Amino acid sequence: MRLLINLAIAIAVAVIVGFGSAALVLDRERLFGAVTRGAWTAWPDTGSPDADPYTAAMLARTGEVPLGAGEGLAFSAEADGAGARLSGSCTYRISGQTPPARLWTLTVYDADGHLMDNPAHRTAFHSREVLRHEDGSFTISVSRAAQPGNWLPVTTTEGIRLILRLYDTPLAGGARVGAVVMPALEKAGCP
Amino acid sequence: MTRFARRNGIRTLLYILGGLLLGGIIHIAVILLLPDFANRDAWTSLGRFGPDGAFHRLPMSEPGTEPLPYLDPQMAYAACRFSLDDGPIRIKATMPEDFWSIAVFNRRGSNVYSLNDRSAERADIDLVIATPVQMAQLRENPIAALDQSIVIEVPITRGFALIRSFVADPTLVGRAEALLGAASCSAELPSDDTPPAADPGEKP
Repeated sequence: MRLLINLAIAIAVAVIVGFGSAALVLDRERLFGAVTRGAWTAWPDTGSPDADPYTAAMLARTGEVPLGAGEGLAFSAEADGAGARLSGSCTYRISGQTPPARLWTLTVYDADGHLMDNPAHRTAFHSREVLRHEDGSFTISVSRAAQPGNWLPVTTTEGIRLILRLYDTPLAGGARVGAVVMPALEKAGCP
Repeated sequence: MTRFARRNGIRTLLYILGGLLLGGIIHIAVILLLPDFANRDAWTSLGRFGPDGAFHRLPMSEPGTEPLPYLDPQMAYAACRFSLDDGPIRIKATMPEDFWSIAVFNRRGSNVYSLNDRSAERADIDLVIATPVQMAQLRENPIAALDQSIVIEVPITRGFALIRSFVADPTLVGRAEALLGAASCSAELPSDDTPPAADPGEKP
């Protein structure tokens, strides 16, 4: 009897610890190989053949197709430069310069990773259409309310995620990210 | 506490410890095996768009109609699920002047090869994908018609290729989609004695 109870305890511990920790790890952001610059995080190994098993499991579970190292590098942000989670009810300004790349796009997704339908029919900006200041830098406003200049509209009041994709960039494919400067991501106010 | 009760307590503790070790093994097994059992992975999702062995255009990523999660809405996509069991495959596509890239993934959705228009140094895609064994055969009996092709060796037998083509504004979607729709992903390599087929899209 005692043995059965002990066995049951051991199996219960094994199942809870094993599946629980696997689910926990996969639900959280990927742990390994993250490169963080300001508010932005990239996983350069995701698009290479030496992606770790956690990345492979995460990709299989979400069905995402990563950018290959020869294609580009994606930086994602779920929190602003001060570390507060991005929320659709606030207004954010993304300003400055991007690292060298032939082309970049900035896309906003809702908390579930979907594009948001909006009257302006805009879900993204790319480097050739963005309005720039005289010095070549740019400012993009992410907000529910219409903004002057580059306005990237959101329609949710929940969390949002921004993804800045650099295409054909020397940064892709390994630990060459070094001291790149990413655009600043600042909260401009919450109503 | 009696000696008997203490011994029982220690024994239970050992069982818990054993449970933790077993839990660690389960964790590793789940992570490693998950890609083989996933049913929402990219490979499975791409099967919805048509039969294997041919490129299928994915609908443009728009709110509510995203073919795969987290695709860039500024890109037009075409994907081909392929198998190398019957020999190497050749991918041919004429591409727009603007940025494009192609990536090859294994069955589990991990990237094994990628290339963009600048690194390809040409305006069209002509890519031969072979397993190491097929690659050795190609080296021994080179096919003249593949002289201009980029031949890559991948350690996989099944996988998919994804072409991304930048669409700078909505008026260019039609052209990008027409070109992607004409992309081919064929298992038939030209035989050595036939001259290379003239490519209508090739620039002089």
